[in-house]
This record gives sequence, structure tokens and C-alpha cells, in this order.
Amino acid sequence: MEKFKQAIKESTAFYSLIGLVVLVILSSIIAPNFRTINNMITIFRQASLLLILSSGLTAVLLTGTMDLSVGATAGLVGCVVAQLVKSSISVPVAALIGILIGVVIGLINGTLAGILPGFIATYGTNWVIAGLGIAIMRGQVIYDLPPSFTFLGVGYVGPIPILVIFALIVVVILYVLLTKTTLGRRIYQYGSNPVAAEYSAVPTRRIVLSAFVICSVCAAFAGMLMTARLNAADAAMGDTYGLQTVAAAVIGGTSQKGGEGGVLGTIAGALILTIVVNVMNLTGIPAQAQGLIIGSVIVIMVLIDTVTRKRQENKID
Amino acid sequence: MGKTILEAKHITKLFPGMKALDDVDFDLQEGEVHILVGENGAGKSTLSKVLLGAYKPEGGEIFLDGQPLKLTGTKDAIEKGIVAVYQENSLVPYLNSAQNIFLNREPKTKLGLLDLKKMNDDARELLKILNCEYIDVTKVVSSLSVAEQQMVEIAKALSFSPRIIVFDEPTSTLSEREVESLFKQIRKLKAEGLGIIYVSHRMQEFPLIGDRITVLRDGKKIGCVGINECTDAELVKMMVGRDVSQVYVRNKTDFSEEALKVENFCDQDGRVKNVSFNVRKGEIVGLAGLVGAGRTETAEMIYGIRPIASGKMTVFGKEQLPKTPTSAVKMGIGLISEDRKRQGLALNESIAQNTVAVSLLKVFPNFFVNNSKINQIAEEFKEKLRIMMTSVGKKTRFLSGGNQQKVVLAKWLSQDPEILIFDEPTRGIDVGAKMEIYNLMDRMASEGKAIIMISSELPEIIGMSDRIYIMKEGEITGELKREDPDFNQEKIGELMMLGGAE
Repeated sequence: MEKFKQAIKESTAFYSLIGLVVLVILSSIIAPNFRTINNMITIFRQASLLLILSSGLTAVLLTGTMDLSVGATAGLVGCVVAQLVKSSISVPVAALIGILIGVVIGLINGTLAGILPGFIATYGTNWVIAGLGIAIMRGQVIYDLPPSFTFLGVGYVGPIPILVIFALIVVVILYVLLTKTTLGRRIYQYGSNPVAAEYSAVPTRRIVLSAFVICSVCAAFAGMLMTARLNAADAAMGDTYGLQTVAAAVIGGTSQKGGEGGVLGTIAGALILTIVVNVMNLTGIPAQAQGLIIGSVIVIMVLIDTVTRKRQENKID
Repeated sequence: MGKTILEAKHITKLFPGMKALDDVDFDLQEGEVHILVGENGAGKSTLSKVLLGAYKPEGGEIFLDGQPLKLTGTKDAIEKGIVAVYQENSLVPYLNSAQNIFLNREPKTKLGLLDLKKMNDDARELLKILNCEYIDVTKVVSSLSVAEQQMVEIAKALSFSPRIIVFDEPTSTLSEREVESLFKQIRKLKAEGLGIIYVSHRMQEFPLIGDRITVLRDGKKIGCVGINECTDAELVKMMVGRDVSQVYVRNKTDFSEEALKVENFCDQDGRVKNVSFNVRKGEIVGLAGLVGAGRTETAEMIYGIRPIASGKMTVFGKEQLPKTPTSAVKMGIGLISEDRKRQGLALNESIAQNTVAVSLLKVFPNFFVNNSKINQIAEEFKEKLRIMMTSVGKKTRFLSGGNQQKVVLAKWLSQDPEILIFDEPTRGIDVGAKMEIYNLMDRMASEGKAIIMISSELPEIIGMSDRIYIMKEGEITGELKREDPDFNQEKIGELMMLGGAE
């Protein structure tokens, strides 16, 4: 237990976890109906897609680069899978194809990011992927998907939405992958100092590729669930998630410099974003004003994180 | 010599897990240059920071002119006339000299605007005291040479009308000529009655500039001697705590089979030309040469980082060329690179994680890692290499240079390659850590490892190598064996500068 406390305190997730706790307490005071079990479940359900997307993105951020294409990837895969299940291909096969598309996109992004700055490369592929989605849908929206598929997005196991269970599984897998495996260790190692990683005989290319594949597969999975939840597919449905995903990871203390942060913080980041929106809805703040508040929360959280980290670094130097 | 300006008694400074200063006494007289010397981590910088008000000591007292002095911070120290000139420039590169000197206390006109004329005039005045009126005070600092920047830095220190100036390793970035002119200025300040504290470990400079030397070791004061009262060897012994004659340890071993043979190595940009050499098990082979002679490049080709344009390489009888460091490591080759901060360590990762940076897949072949196992390995090497640290979970950036280098060694020892290349393994680390690294190399060779050592320090490469290849401009110009009569600095120097006889 002592060790656990120490680990939490030293981890970069520390401040985002504190932020989350403070936010929960404040929310309970501001909006009494925040505390209800129903609302808690709603929050987790609303957060689940963001959790899947941003946990995946964490892998890429840890290597010190960026993937701006997760929103478009989710959109494209969602559309493809919707069309497949609509043309009565079985759900597992369609899902497998969706995941494979994720792998391919990850490989392309990862290869490009080995040559160009990831930020630029994936800003470009984001448009290309979004364009593909529009082309496949021919500008149409598909409705009325088979219940065997939509069940994944709207179904419940007991009181718990299946979406939440999926999110939990993805988060746990990514946490283990990044902290308890040689691949994860090498992602951190590479992000912390790419040159030293190369001199330490780390296959750097492969590490970056793996991180991008992890990220895009998560995006692909989130895309399918998005379609299942909406019971519809639209090429633009992933768009709003693109930057939110980045925000969740960054609020969680995963720095874009690479090598610092992790899934734990990202979970906190995703929940913080979701709760802020939830509370604004509960208290009736108009949607038009919400962007302003979300933006402020992002800036403040990142500010706290950066300042405290700088102070820590100067402490013993 | 004049009266005592500054006196520090029983200074104790604690850092988490260690005593940085332990009951240290120090005093400084008017018109004196008092040298503070010691290995890295001995406490010399800590002591000067205490005197400069940057650290608050946990115990002890400081007296200025016999009056007790309680410093609240560096600003307070400056007001009391104690200023510093740091080793790394603290100037703002994009401002000019005058702006830097009067940063944050720029003279103003009656209207409250900057009085540029007065600022520039005053800056010129200060530089004139230093005989540096040739420096244009309106030129941005980044366009000045390192030595000129240092003069600006001193001018800035002087602008506070100080009584005591602390110089922290001021010559580490200067050329010989620049050092001489710096010393001239220091002597001048000294003649004006200022007290100078001079932190350095360049022993050859001490007689040129110092009056007294205080030696620190492990945070304790070992002694204070007059400049002519002791020899270099005695001084080193005080610093290190043991005799210097034991610095290089090389127990002769029998060389067995050939471990590595390189034939006609050429790289793509002509920095390595037709290099051929070999190294046997149990042997330490030195690569000597000037910086830029192609030694590091050769090492990087063997290690698979630098592309090989042509040539053959044989590892334990098997002809193979490394394409990447990964393949080199598979062949049993390791490289301890010369730039440990950039190439050797992930400074923001923990000591434990750096220790297994290379051996990760060897220790955990089944994909999953066990962090307590990693910590256990790191603890092992902490003991074995005597790495000074509070915990293996600490970030590597917090270690001193010598201890960081030991972590790099640990990283390779945990992988345990059969052929290990040491590229400038002792650069920038103190004598004690150097000796431990020599000991380790000797032990590894006697265990049957093949070792290649690249070094620009001739005494070191002669002290440790069984054979030396000398390189010049990408080519090997000679080979000397330990038993050769001309296995000495003169011959090696000649081959380095002039090349082979043919």
C-alpha cells in the first residue's frame, strides 16, 4: 500500500487525479443530482468512447509524437463496419475487418511519422481518411443497423452498459501493455530519449509503428462502438472526438515531449472532460457557452501540470 | 595578505539522503584567491552556493567582516557584495552586453524611459576596467566569443561593486590564450583588494592563480594548504583519499581466440578509410587519435549505427556485418558511447529502467516485465559499481556525472556482451570514478571479454591498453604493443599528428 501511494505521488497522473477528485466534490455541491447512481453510470457511458480513443492516443504521445487522425479513423471504420453489417455480413467478421483497417492506418501513420513530424503527417492523413469515409458513404447517412450489432453500443449487462465494460477492458489492456510489457517499457524509453534508445539497441522504427497501430486500432474499435451506439453511421461522426482525445490525454499529464505520463492520467483526463460537460448539462448551461468553459478547463489543467512539473524538476537540480 | 573578509564555520548542508556539507570551515582574506577543489560531488559547488545565499545551511555560521551574516537569498548576498561568475553563461543571448549587465536595473531618464546612453557608457566603463573596451556593448551577446561573454559576465559581477567574487569553473570553456587573459583580470581584481573564491579542478591552473587551496571530499573539509606547500600528487591524494600511483590497473592476461576482426572498413563520407584491426578475448585494445580521427565513427560502424560502405567484419570466426545496433547486440557487441547525456541515458527515466535499457528483452523474454525484478537488478549494480544514489527509482538526471556514467556501464554489464567498446569512458568524471572504471575494464578483460577503448587522454590509453592502434584522418597509422620499446606518449603522439613512417 505504501509503495502504491508512493507510485501515485510520483506519477505524472497525480495532479490530474487530484483535479478529478476536486471536480467530483465541486460537482456534487453545484448539482445535487450529480451524485445519483444513474448519473454516475451516464458519465461512465458518455466517457467510454473518449476513454478508448485517448488511451490509445497515449501510446503515441508517449513516443513523443502526435496522432491527429483518430477522429477520422473512428469515423471511417464506423462507416465501413456499418455498411458491412447492413449488407448482412456477420458482426465478428465485420469487426475484424474494422480492426484490420485500424492496423493499416496505424502502419501508414507510423511510417509517415518516422519521416515527417507526426503532427503534420497525421493532420494530413486525417483529411485523407475523412475523405475516404465521405467517398464510401457517398454523402449519405445509414440508419437501422441490425440489433445484433447495435446491442454492443446500447446494451446492458445488469445495470452496466456494455460500452462501459468495453472501455474498462481497453483501458486495462492498455495500462498493462504500457507498464508491464517490454513493448510498453520501450515506448517510454524511446519517448524519453530517442537517440539513447537507438544506442541501446531498441528497434526504434518498430516501436513507433507499434504505438501508432495501438492508437489506430483503439480508434477503429471506438468507431464501431460509436456506430452501434448511434444506430447510424455518418462520415463526420468522429470529427468532434479528434481534439477532445488529445485534450483528455494532455489533461491527464501525458506530455507531448514523450516519455512521461500514462493511461492512469488519461483516464482522469477523459473523466474530467466528461464530468465538466455533464455538470454543465445538469445545471442548464447552454451548449453555446460550454466550449468556453471546456477550453478554460483544458488550459488550467495543463497549466497546473506544467508548472508543478517544472517545480519538481528544479527541486533537486 | 589583508584581513579576513569572510569566514564560515561548521557549515552543514543536508540534501535528501546525504550530507552535502559536513561541518566545513572556510575563510577568505582581502586580496586573496582561495581555490576550492574536490571531486564532483565533493561539495565545492554546494559550499559556494551557501556563501552566495542560494542554499540555506542547516548548521553553522557565516561572518562578514567579523559580523554574523544571515543571507536570505542571492539578492541579499549581492547587496552585501558577494557575487558569482558561473561556469555556464547566465547571460541572455539575444540581448546586448549593456542590456545584460544592467538587466532588471536599467538606468532611467527623468521621464522614466530607458537611459540608453548612460547604460552603454557605464557598461563601457566596466569593460574598460577589464581591458576589454574592444567589446561593442551594443552587439548581441550571442555574437560574442565564449571568452568575451565571460568578460561581460565578469563586468556584470563588477557592476554590483562586490567585495567577494566566486568563480565557478570559469575556464572550462576557454582556450589557453583566453584563460591567460582571464587570469590577468583576476590578478587585477585581487590587487584591488577583492576576495576571490575560485572553484575548479584543473590542477595545472592552481599555481598560476591561487594563494590557498581548500580541499573537500564527500562534503568534508580535508585540509587547507598554501599554494606552495604541497605537490600535485599530495593534492590528488587529499582529493581522492588514496595514492595516485595505483590509478591504472592492468593485470596481464593471456589472450585467447580472436573475438572481432575488422577488415578494410570504409564509411560513406570518407571519415573512415580502410580500417583493419582485431581484438582478442581478454585483451584491451586502444584506439588513439585526435578528435575527428575517425575513432568514434569506426566504433559506430561496428555497432551498426553508422552505415558501412565496404569492408568485412568477423565476430568469433563468423563473417557478418551489423545493420542496426539490435543486430550488433545479437552478435555480442556493445558500445558505451561518448555522449552519455544524449546517447547513453534517458535522463528522465529512473536509474532502474536505464539499467535494463539494453538487456530488457534478455531479462524478460516473455513480453511481460516485472518491475520489482528490474529494481532488484538495479540494486545489484548499485552495489557492484558503488553507484551513489538515494534510490534506484530516482530519475537519472539527479546523479552526478560519474554516477551517471556508472549507470551506463550497468546498462551494458546487465546485457553482458562479449565485445564491449568504451568510447571516452572517463570524460568529465572525477578521479575516483575513473579509477573504478579502469578497475572494471581490467576485471572484464580478465574474465575473457574483448575490450576496445577509445580515449583522447594518452596516459589513460597507455595505462590500460595491451595494444594501441593510432588513427589519423580516418586511417590507421600505426599499431603499438605494450611490450614494444616505443609504447609511449612520444611515439603515439607522432603517429597521431604525422601519420605512419611510410
